[in-house]
This record gives sequence, C-alpha cells and structure tokens, in this order.
Amino acid sequence: MDAKDILGLPKNQLPIPQEKKSRPPKEPQRKPDGISREVYALTGGLAPLMPSVDVSQLKRRPPSDEKVTWQWLPFTNSARKDDLQLFHWVRVVNGVPPTGDYAFAKYNKSANIIKYTDEEYEKYLTDPAWTKEETDQLFDLCERFDLRFIVIADRFPSSRTVEELKDRYYSVSRALLSARAPPADITGHPLVKPYNISQEVERKRALSMVLSQTKQQERKDTEVLAEAKRITESRMAAKGPEESELPAVANIGPDNSQRAITGDAVTPSTAMPSSAIAASSTLMADNASTLASLRMLRVYLRTYALDQMVQAASASAGLRTIKRVEQTLQELGVNLKPKVPTKAVCAEHLELRKEILTLLNLQKQLQYKEAEGTSFQDSPYSETPGTPKRAPRGDQDRPFMPDPLGFGGDRFGKRDQKRKAPGRTSEAAQSPSQSKRPRKMKASDI
Amino acid sequence: MSARKQGDGQPEDGGATAGKRLKIAKFSEDPEKKGLSRRLKDAEISLPIVYGTIAFYLGRKASESQSHKWTVYVRGATNEDLSAVIKRVVFQLHPSFNNPTRVMEAPPFELSECGWGEFEIAISLFFHPDVCDKQLDLYHHLKLYPEDESGPQSTKKPVVVESYDEIVFPDPSEAFYARVQNNPAVIVPRMPAGFNISAPVAPENTSERERGDTKDHPLSQWFMNFSEADELLKLAAARQQPFMEMIYEN
Repeated sequence: MDAKDILGLPKNQLPIPQEKKSRPPKEPQRKPDGISREVYALTGGLAPLMPSVDVSQLKRRPPSDEKVTWQWLPFTNSARKDDLQLFHWVRVVNGVPPTGDYAFAKYNKSANIIKYTDEEYEKYLTDPAWTKEETDQLFDLCERFDLRFIVIADRFPSSRTVEELKDRYYSVSRALLSARAPPADITGHPLVKPYNISQEVERKRALSMVLSQTKQQERKDTEVLAEAKRITESRMAAKGPEESELPAVANIGPDNSQRAITGDAVTPSTAMPSSAIAASSTLMADNASTLASLRMLRVYLRTYALDQMVQAASASAGLRTIKRVEQTLQELGVNLKPKVPTKAVCAEHLELRKEILTLLNLQKQLQYKEAEGTSFQDSPYSETPGTPKRAPRGDQDRPFMPDPLGFGGDRFGKRDQKRKAPGRTSEAAQSPSQSKRPRKMKASDI
Repeated sequence: MSARKQGDGQPEDGGATAGKRLKIAKFSEDPEKKGLSRRLKDAEISLPIVYGTIAFYLGRKASESQSHKWTVYVRGATNEDLSAVIKRVVFQLHPSFNNPTRVMEAPPFELSECGWGEFEIAISLFFHPDVCDKQLDLYHHLKLYPEDESGPQSTKKPVVVESYDEIVFPDPSEAFYARVQNNPAVIVPRMPAGFNISAPVAPENTSERERGDTKDHPLSQWFMNFSEADELLKLAAARQQPFMEMIYEN
C-alpha cells in the first residue's frame, strides 16, 4: 500500500476487486429462506437465474377469515362426448364450491381438418396416384391423430411414405380451399404454401446422411470445408490482379520453355537450369501481381514500389538468402536502397537483385550436386583417383578453405565438362566474394 | 479497370486549373467528368521530388530551448515548381510545438522553425482533385547534430538531410495529363504519335504570381545533387561483374 502511495497510484483500485471476490463465495453458503436447506441443496447450491419459486409466497398462510374445507364432489368434463360423471376433491371456501368448467377441458384441442363431400372429390381432388378410399382413409387418420404424420404413416393400410401422405393431404386441402373460398381470401391461409415433395425427400435424405456419418468422415468434411474457404478467400484477394497476371504469365510461359530446351541441349544436367528458370518464372508471376496491386493505388512512392517488388522477388528466398543478397550488393558497391530512385535506377536495381538471387540459388544447387556426386564416387569407378580424398567432401566437413584457388581448382576439376570457362570464372570470382565463399561451405548453411 | 473509370465522379474544375493555379479553385456547377473518367492505361506520370531538412546551429544566439533553426521542405528534384501537381503540404511537427499541424497552401512548400530536439516530421502531400484524391505521407527524421561530434558546431555549415523519391501516378486521368504534359517538373510518358490531348489555355505570366520554383531559393546552395547517372553506372558495373555472368553459363 505504501508503495502505491509513493507511486501515486489510486488507492481505490484495490478495494473493488476485494469486494467482488468476497461476494461470490458468500452466495452459495447463504441459504434462502422459504425453502429448507436440503431442498435448496438439490439445485446444486446455486440460486437459479430466474426465481422459479416466489419465496415470499411460500410461507404465506391463507387469510384467517376464510374457512376452507375439502369436499368430495362430482364433476363433468365438457371435453368428453359422453356424459360421464366422475368425483374428485374440491377445495370449498366458505361453503361455496368453485364454478366453471373442468380446468383441463380447454386443452382438448384438435386440428382443423377440412372435410370434403363426394362431389367435391369428383370435381377437384382426383389424382392418378390416389384412390378415393385411400384419400378417405388418410383424412380419417389425420382427424384421429391430429395430423401426426408419423403415426398416420405407420397406421396407413397400404405403405406410403410420410412425404407422400403429407403431399396428398396438403394438395387436397389447398384445392378445397381454393375451390370453396374466393381467391382473394385464401392468400393469408397457411395451407396455401405449397409442399414441395421432392425437396422434402431430398432434405430428409441429406439429414439422415449427416446423422449417419462416421467420425472420420466428419473430420474429412470439416477439413475440406476449411480448405475451400481458404481457396475462395485467396481467390477473392487475387481476383483483381488475376486479370493482369494471366497475360503476363502467358507471355512468359513460351519464353521459358524455349530457354529450358536450349539449356538442356547444352548441358547434361537438366535439373539446374530448369529449376532456376522455374524459379524465375515464379518471380515473374510475383512481379506481375505486385505491379497489379501497385496500380490499384492511386498514388505511390517509387521507393515503396521498389520495396514491394523486392519483397515479391525474394518471397521464395529464406532470410539467410536475403541477407546474402544484401551482402553481395554491398560488396559490389551498390546501395541497398538506391539514393536516386528514378524509374531506370529502380528497374536496374531490381534486375540486379534478381540476378544475385539466381546466382545464389545456382551456387547452392551446385553444392548439392557436388555433395551427391562425391557420395557416389566412393563406390565402383573413380576415374580421377586423387579426387575423393582431395575434394572438399560434400563441403560438409571442411569448415574453412583458406586456399582460394584450391577450392576453385577442385570444383572445376570435377566438373570440367560442365563449366564453359572455368579458369576465368574462378579467378575473377574469388576477389569480390572471397569472404563469402568459405562460409557458404558450412553444412549449417545448406 | 473499367470499374474504376466509372467510379470517378469528381467534378472537374476545368477552367480554374487551366492556368496551373492552385489557389481557390472554383468548382463548376456542371461537372465535366470526361477528362477525369478517361484514364491513360499502362502509362504513369511521375513527379521526382526531394524532401528533407536543413538545420543551422544558432551559435551565440542559441538558448536552451532554441539551439537550432531548421527548415523542412518539399521541392522538385530539378527545383521546378510543384504546384501544378501538389495542392498543399501539411507538416506534422512534434506536439511540443505550437500548432503542430502546419499547412502550406502555396509553393515553396517549406516551413522554418527554431528548436532543440530531433524528431520525426510527417509530411502529407495533397494533390489536386484531377490528380489524385488520396494523400501521400512521407516521413523524415529531423537531424540537427552533425555526424562527427568533434568540436563546436559551426553556424555556417548546416546539417542537410535530403531524400530523393518519385511520386508515381499509375493510370493518370486525361485531364491531369493534358495539364502537365509540358510541365518541366513532371515526367510524362511518351505517347504514340497521333495521340493528342489539347493542352488547356496557355499559363499565365509567371511574374504575376509568386515564384513556386526553388531555383533561386536562399538555401539552394545546400541542396544535394541527385544524379541518376551515378547510380546507374554503379548498377551497370555490378551487373557486369565477371562472376555474375556465371548465371548465364549454365
């Protein structure tokens, strides 16, 4: 409390939670009067939300000026058709018995079934699927069982489904109504709404299917629904840029297939170029959608646009790759964010970034291939006897290669047939990214 | 895109913008929507700007609460007048300033103040109705103290921080294009031959109104030079690095 004083915090924060906390524990312990404790405990010890029993009324005693006796008296039930007279106890106050009908007579309600005459049947109600006897029976059962179609279907002499019975009943009633009353009156009548039998059958079938689904199927259903929801949402999001993306992707499609084919012809290994180009085609697609979303904005800054494009281009790359791209940029003497972002500069910058990304991807794949290559070289043939021992084995065990040319030489020794100009590349390559290469050979980097 | 066209229902103040004037534009009763609703697709108009701050140390006249006099501004990259595109600029200063929201309705869009602290200034650019109905927000950190803390600050050499950027308007309206196609501050795309939008009435004599450009601005000696050529050169050199060509080998 003193600490709060010093800090100047308001003091009354504390008492309120205390007050609230003390109240709920007290409630269940208090027994409401009017009901005995055991009875109250039956409710679980908590008062019901709505007081079902008016507690104050419980202890009330009848006014003492009334004289109450109980008498065994006869009564009749107006709901009965016979005149059966029964006896029951009646509470008599001051010698005056209660008046009025039997209290439960008012609950004897029955459904209003329309009755038809034979001529009406002839005129409006004939139906190929139903004979007159069946219709009569149906209506009789409806009357007896108050339109409880389940029971009626059960009792119906010939087997008819519930939906058929319902359909027949409703169409008959509707026809009768429209025949008897002038058209204007019947619109408000509930029976006028048509009963769609086929839909009902379908609905019930679907419900029963849902009911009888196994747990596994239920799970699968929820999964599919979630998936569909996600797809529609992403489809909505991509709907705008979709139109502009489609022509862009279509243009790139044929170009990429061309390049892939020529790439295959030149080099034996097809995986690298095609995957690199596949990567670039997805880059193009990203580009197109970013462009489209930029055009949605009425105005934007070119630096913002560049950021978006860079993000889109490096969407497929991990964080480490992005860092490496930025390092390369710095080593090349290029600002990470161009100081003069004109249209041309931004385009060049983006291209440069993409090229670096491709370069890094290729280098990574090269390393993978080498790793595979060296693992194969352990067995049968080894045309270059010295290689397995000398090589930076899969680049996995050797943490740091201080000798620059040693690395270049080994690599290019093995892959001579693949590289076009090994010498040039290795010498020139070392200087700018010298510091980068050894680090990339670590297993953790791959 | 056609949906966007139909959505442009802003009344165009055709007559008032003819003279590239930005002051009280009269909105005509009869909205001429044609110029606004027709947009140049696949074209973009860009406006290169430079925004930043210049701060001078006050030296002898400095006090605890007012040690520096600084100016925040938005100018055209080539020091041309921006008022054809920008209607007004709102500078949002630190709340400790009186009336921290400062509105500049006329070029040059700048604001000078005295203070002691560095903070982020929010610069909101509002464009003419036929240009864009959305504002653009920029943020700039006011720098008062030089990088090297060595020695006393000089009252002669200010601390200048400028940022170059380009405001891009994709799909500009025809009215906007017509208005600025000959404006030196704006970069307009080259249209195919035969594409003619008549420019509105010739601009008024510039001497009649205040100069909106910053070519002879008192602080222009401190403006940084942003050379696109430099950057392009560096980028081209980078892309031609030998090891970059490895990409194309395989």
